[in-house]
Amino acid sequence: MTRKGRWTWLLSVLALAAGFSLMVAAYGVAANRTKAAPMQAQKSVGTLKAVLDTVDYLDPQQAYTGQSWWAMWNVWETLLTYRHVDGPGGYKLVPGLAASLPSISANGKVYKFKLRKGIRYSNGAKLKASDFEFAIKRGFLATGQGVGFYTDIAGAAAYAAHPTAGGDISGITANNAKRTITIKMAKPRGDFLTILALLFAAPVPAGTSPAIHNGNIPATGPYRIVGYDPNRGFAMLRNRFFKPTKDIPRGNPNRVDVSLIGDANTATQRVVSGSADYSNGAIPPDRIASAKSRGKLVLRKTANTYYFWMNVNVAPFNKLKVRQAVNYAIDRKALQTLVWGGLGQPTQNILPPTYPSYRKLDLYTHNVAKARQMITAAGAKGANVTVWTREVSDALTAAQYYTSVLNSIGLDAKLTTLPRATYYTTIGKRDTKAQTGWARWLEDYPHPLDWFDVLLNGNRIVDQDNNNYAYYSNKKVNSAIESLKKAPVLTTAVNQRWAAVEKSIMQDAPWAPWSNRVFPEYFTKKMGCIHVQLLYGIDWTRLCRK
Amino acid sequence: MAEPATELSLDTAAVLAAEEHEVAIVGRSPWYLAWRRLRRNYLALFSLFVFVVILTACALAPVYAHHVAHTGPNETHVAEQVSVNGKLKDVIGGGAVYDAKSGEFTVKAVTILGPTWWHAGGKFVLGSDNLGRDVAVRMLYGGLNSLKIGIGSALICTFFAVVLALLAGFFGGWVDWIITRSFDLIWAFPVLLLAIALGSALSINGFHHFGINIDAGSLWIPTLVISYVLIPYVGRPVRGQVLSLRQKEFVEAAVGSGAGPIRIMFSDLLPNIASTVLVFFTLIIANNILTEAGLSFLGAGVRLPDPSWGNLISSGQEQIVSAPWLTLVPGIAIVLTVLSLNIFGDGLRDALDPRAKVRIEH
Amino acid sequence: MFAFVVRRFIGLVIVLFTITVVVFLLFFATPGIDPSARLAGRNPSPETVAAVKHEFGLDRPLPVRYGLMMKRLFISRDLVSYGNQALKVVPAITSAAPVTFSLVLGAAVLWVVVSIGMGLLAVTFKGTVVDPLLMIVALIGISMPVFWLGEVLNLITQDRLHDTFLFSWVPPLGYTPFTANPWQWFLHLIIPWITLSVLYIGFYARVLRANLLDIQNEDYVRTARAKGLPPRRVLLKHMLRNSMITFVSLFGLDFGFLVGGGALLTEVVFGLPGVGRLTFQSLQQLDLPVIMATVIYGAFFITIMSALVDIVYARLDPRIRPS
Repeated sequence: MTRKGRWTWLLSVLALAAGFSLMVAAYGVAANRTKAAPMQAQKSVGTLKAVLDTVDYLDPQQAYTGQSWWAMWNVWETLLTYRHVDGPGGYKLVPGLAASLPSISANGKVYKFKLRKGIRYSNGAKLKASDFEFAIKRGFLATGQGVGFYTDIAGAAAYAAHPTAGGDISGITANNAKRTITIKMAKPRGDFLTILALLFAAPVPAGTSPAIHNGNIPATGPYRIVGYDPNRGFAMLRNRFFKPTKDIPRGNPNRVDVSLIGDANTATQRVVSGSADYSNGAIPPDRIASAKSRGKLVLRKTANTYYFWMNVNVAPFNKLKVRQAVNYAIDRKALQTLVWGGLGQPTQNILPPTYPSYRKLDLYTHNVAKARQMITAAGAKGANVTVWTREVSDALTAAQYYTSVLNSIGLDAKLTTLPRATYYTTIGKRDTKAQTGWARWLEDYPHPLDWFDVLLNGNRIVDQDNNNYAYYSNKKVNSAIESLKKAPVLTTAVNQRWAAVEKSIMQDAPWAPWSNRVFPEYFTKKMGCIHVQLLYGIDWTRLCRK
Repeated sequence: MAEPATELSLDTAAVLAAEEHEVAIVGRSPWYLAWRRLRRNYLALFSLFVFVVILTACALAPVYAHHVAHTGPNETHVAEQVSVNGKLKDVIGGGAVYDAKSGEFTVKAVTILGPTWWHAGGKFVLGSDNLGRDVAVRMLYGGLNSLKIGIGSALICTFFAVVLALLAGFFGGWVDWIITRSFDLIWAFPVLLLAIALGSALSINGFHHFGINIDAGSLWIPTLVISYVLIPYVGRPVRGQVLSLRQKEFVEAAVGSGAGPIRIMFSDLLPNIASTVLVFFTLIIANNILTEAGLSFLGAGVRLPDPSWGNLISSGQEQIVSAPWLTLVPGIAIVLTVLSLNIFGDGLRDALDPRAKVRIEH
Repeated sequence: MFAFVVRRFIGLVIVLFTITVVVFLLFFATPGIDPSARLAGRNPSPETVAAVKHEFGLDRPLPVRYGLMMKRLFISRDLVSYGNQALKVVPAITSAAPVTFSLVLGAAVLWVVVSIGMGLLAVTFKGTVVDPLLMIVALIGISMPVFWLGEVLNLITQDRLHDTFLFSWVPPLGYTPFTANPWQWFLHLIIPWITLSVLYIGFYARVLRANLLDIQNEDYVRTARAKGLPPRRVLLKHMLRNSMITFVSLFGLDFGFLVGGGALLTEVVFGLPGVGRLTFQSLQQLDLPVIMATVIYGAFFITIMSALVDIVYARLDPRIRPS
């Protein structure tokens, strides 16, 4: 081969490689192309450009993150729903697809609903009463994340054992002609109405496969979801079959374009540069002040508690004095600054302050010297402690501080970090014997049971996927929770009893709660009509431009 | 070619080696000759000096750091103040303030204490990090960890690579086939990805098989992971060299005179590849320090709160806008260390064997 | 030639098989990899966990599980992630690959052009201060952690000097597909290209310089000089061409390595949703299906590129024949 020939040959090989690369590239692009929806020319806010950090699924029977619910709340309606209002009124249940609140039998076991007339899905099909039972069944069939909430319905446990598409949950009966739904419970459940308002129970057309549908299930709410791409985002368009009600408005935006951006700096930058109207992503603590001057920062209070749990079965935390000492040693105020640039309230309570049952506790004033003495008095000086946390920036910061505090009061602490995906399953296993660590709880639905029963009822401790990381079990507390379970309405007296339960738990100190975080919501300066719904966050249906 | 050897030239030693051909150099050991060449390469010697200074400063940190800075690497000083030039300053200041009466927050930037140099009596010389820890102390202990991993993994990696290369090159046949195929296998996957895969799999519960017990947070995990993934990079070229030595008369003669394989490998072959191995060793320390930094940056190396230069950069990333020193300082330390090792390694190669083509893959 | 291709292909299959088995075993030995508890949601009943295990084939013996995974990856191509059941693994990779290609192709152009320039300059100005200066710069490039360089460049271009005329054009981090907006694609990638190429510029410049110095006394170079050809012509036409043999083989391997996922640090720092970042995220979440798929993808490219390099090498240098 001549020298020249050799070079042509080389070039052709390189060209081939480049060509192949381009082919792969083109394939990827083609696979990602989504249909562009036509824009409607209307006034009001027009197209809202939002940035979310992440969503898990856009399927009512599967989604279990606040971000998904933020979007889906206005896509799939439930029998009962929450009002589009600011403040405590947002916790009040109102009829959604149902014509009115249900009638409940005296023993609290039978719920009767009647659907509103003329409701249609976004594909034009009529909503049937039987679609509710289908949705509950679909949850079980798909082993959706929320099925645990519905096992108290009569016959649901039996169905859950062998779910089939043709099967039936005996406790749910529907009459499509009369639009009625009757639900019978195996045992009464005080929080059942809030559970029916969860998106897991949103009716979907009968026949929808249990496979995960990201967005492409016909909607009953004012919007529908199109064009979901896990790397980019999705869009919400108006559902032209939707008719507004007293409690469910039509919504201002004609269209919502949601981009999914995980990086906090990038998300913030989008709003600063004006290429997005709104971001719900965290703002890096050192950028909050500059972000505020360049846009509109809204601090959203929401029901959450960040805490360190201490396993009461494992030394040295089996000693009350040690657990109390830890509560004294933590500088809760400093932690707010370290972890979220001050955007959190120090707390010693289990319940967040948004709850009607909340009574502020002040049992442990910050005092390191006292804590050190208590550790020595308890004979725990030099005890080995492993602190557990997950590999997420804020949890790492908090846990590093916590480890250093434990060392400063005389314990010998080291840190173990786990990937986000395996953290809760690992510490929720009894065999792990995890001593202490980081955790947080965000409400599923606004009821004290979602806190005390799930997190601190000793009767509910299990060997795997345990939520009571402290393995706290106090007979008196357990029976108080069990008896309060039967009270469906949060009267003043019931709230007082919950507060008493909370106080006796905190005197036992299985937790060291430290923060009720507030979430920064970030808008461009042009955005107005910013309203916060207590449960679902920024109410984007009411946003407007100035 | 008789170009004058300038002190600035990177080829000083090579040029000197060329000059030597014209002078009688009978009866000198190759190591002496190498030293004679290296001695005149001031840049390489200076680099070695820089590296030794960094190494000593970090290695002795447990001895002196506490007396200077009055704190350990993982101690937080969040609500404390230090006196800088007689003025009291918050270690961590600012932050949003919550007013319990109105229930509102006033947003204020968090301020982290910057480098005090020597104005605070040795405290926070390089400033504080977001948890109120002394960056200078963390840098020293972090450097100690990074260097432990870099040097340790270079030792282990070179040892195994040389043993495997000797076995493959000497025995040939199926031994060679198996060893080169396993090299190929490691080679066929991006080193860093392989290291992260191993690092993240092992760092969850450690390693507890075959009677070996390594805890999850142990420095041995990144050390062993890095040495494992880099074995082919040293093993391959060394095997090639052994293979060509194997054909040489003196090896054939040794085989003919009935010397055992172990003896031939270690007393005949090893001395002949020693210079290459030494150069590789120097350069691979530099490479391993970079790999460790990458691993720790991605959370698969040294586990927090223990510092390493890599995880210091990674932790500082979030505060890069308001506290850039958290990122800049460890980065500069890595560049200095790796650069000094690279320059010295180059000089060493030129001195030992100016024609050698030693290259470390990244 | 045909036999060579066939042998290479069999080698590739063996390598892929061994790598996937090793990765599979490595991760099944890791506690927390079993996703059934995660997939079954909060407070699942034991029956639900068992159902999930069965659905994903996790109650089967290990070889069967491996076989099932490979079948779903290659034959039915419907393998889904453990972390996000809506994420199909094959489309996830095909949508990440163009990002990595864009990053690596641009950086490759940059590093080839600049490193050849630096190598030639260094050789031309050998004996002056330019040569050692260039080589020190190259060494510094090699000695910098790429993620650190990226962060520092981000600090400068996104914050410190972003509001000056120098860097006001720099868009926020992220990626815009070429098909969506070529100009934005270009702008988004400029800084990542520079970051990724610095190491290779340093590397290739040094290799090229050493190579050029090596061959400057070869017979054909002397002949060319003796014929009275101008030095520049000798350097470009004769010496550089010959050095390209080493250059091309290095390039092929590095290119394959980067496209196969080796550029992940750059992708992570600049928020580019490429294959490296996908692998990194799946490793963080112990998401075995995605890990397996990206490992196969990476090994595939590296092996293909090294085979390609062998062929090119043999063509360029007739002394070596693929045998």
